[in-house]
Amino acid sequence: MAVLFFASQVPVQSGPADLSLQAQLVWGTNKEKPDDPKLKEVDPSVAEKLRKVFKWKNYFEVNKQNVTVTVGSPKKVKMSDHCEIEVQNLGSASIEVKLYGKGKLAVRKTQKIHPTELLVLAGDDKDDTAWFVVLSQPQK
Amino acid sequence: MINHQTQLKVQAYLDGELSAGEARAVEELMRSDADAQALHQELRIARSFLAGNELERKLPESPEFYWSKIRRQIERAESTPDGLSEPTAPPWWSRFLAPAGVLGALAVFVALVLRSPQDGGTFLALDDSHEIETPLEETSSFSFRSEAAAMTVVWVDSHRE
Repeated sequence: MAVLFFASQVPVQSGPADLSLQAQLVWGTNKEKPDDPKLKEVDPSVAEKLRKVFKWKNYFEVNKQNVTVTVGSPKKVKMSDHCEIEVQNLGSASIEVKLYGKGKLAVRKTQKIHPTELLVLAGDDKDDTAWFVVLSQPQK
Repeated sequence: MINHQTQLKVQAYLDGELSAGEARAVEELMRSDADAQALHQELRIARSFLAGNELERKLPESPEFYWSKIRRQIERAESTPDGLSEPTAPPWWSRFLAPAGVLGALAVFVALVLRSPQDGGTFLALDDSHEIETPLEETSSFSFRSEAAAMTVVWVDSHRE
């Protein structure tokens, strides 16, 4: 048992490999699209996945950025005036994501990322809406 | 007019909860007592209405997310001292947990020391590829995975009311 425990803590090292990620800041609401030209329709496949999990009917993209992260070189991506993420490539398809809200570290998450899967950091916003930072690997 | 106890018997009869002898007694009562018979009829109709028209409640979110939020709320409520519950004496077996707790803490400490430098500051490892930390006191988070949506979610709760 102890051996297994310690074995699980030993990080697996791999050679440096760039990891391409797409980061989207998405806003979820049950209301219709506001008259804001900055808001775009979210990719239907992403919106459908979000609808499967969350209660909001409509999802709009506030910002989308592509980022390539190399092992050992974390990158910060500004998603909005108040929201920033820092992504680190840990190798072996693992990433560490730090989410900053108004400059303060709100959450840190380490996760294996798979090409067909989404990693979503999210929270409530005012007026029964929600924000989502959706991380995915762009389809090649 | 039948008393409350008899009303309960009639209800139990309808629900099939009585022994054979009790059921026969209730049947006998209903043959001779119009009130008991009327109550039985009323309950039977109500039950058929409920069975046929029960309101279907659909979760607004995925079950994983819905129950994760409830679990989180319960955990938060339990961790908040309300001053109402009386302190209870620890059970006798808790004294055996203390040495186990020390060993566990030591194991965690050694494991953290053995980690590579870039992993410094790590606290909770669910497995070798999944960790989560919420450093701000005014925020909390929980993580769950939705197989249906092929998605891992970290929900950040800022405790806004």
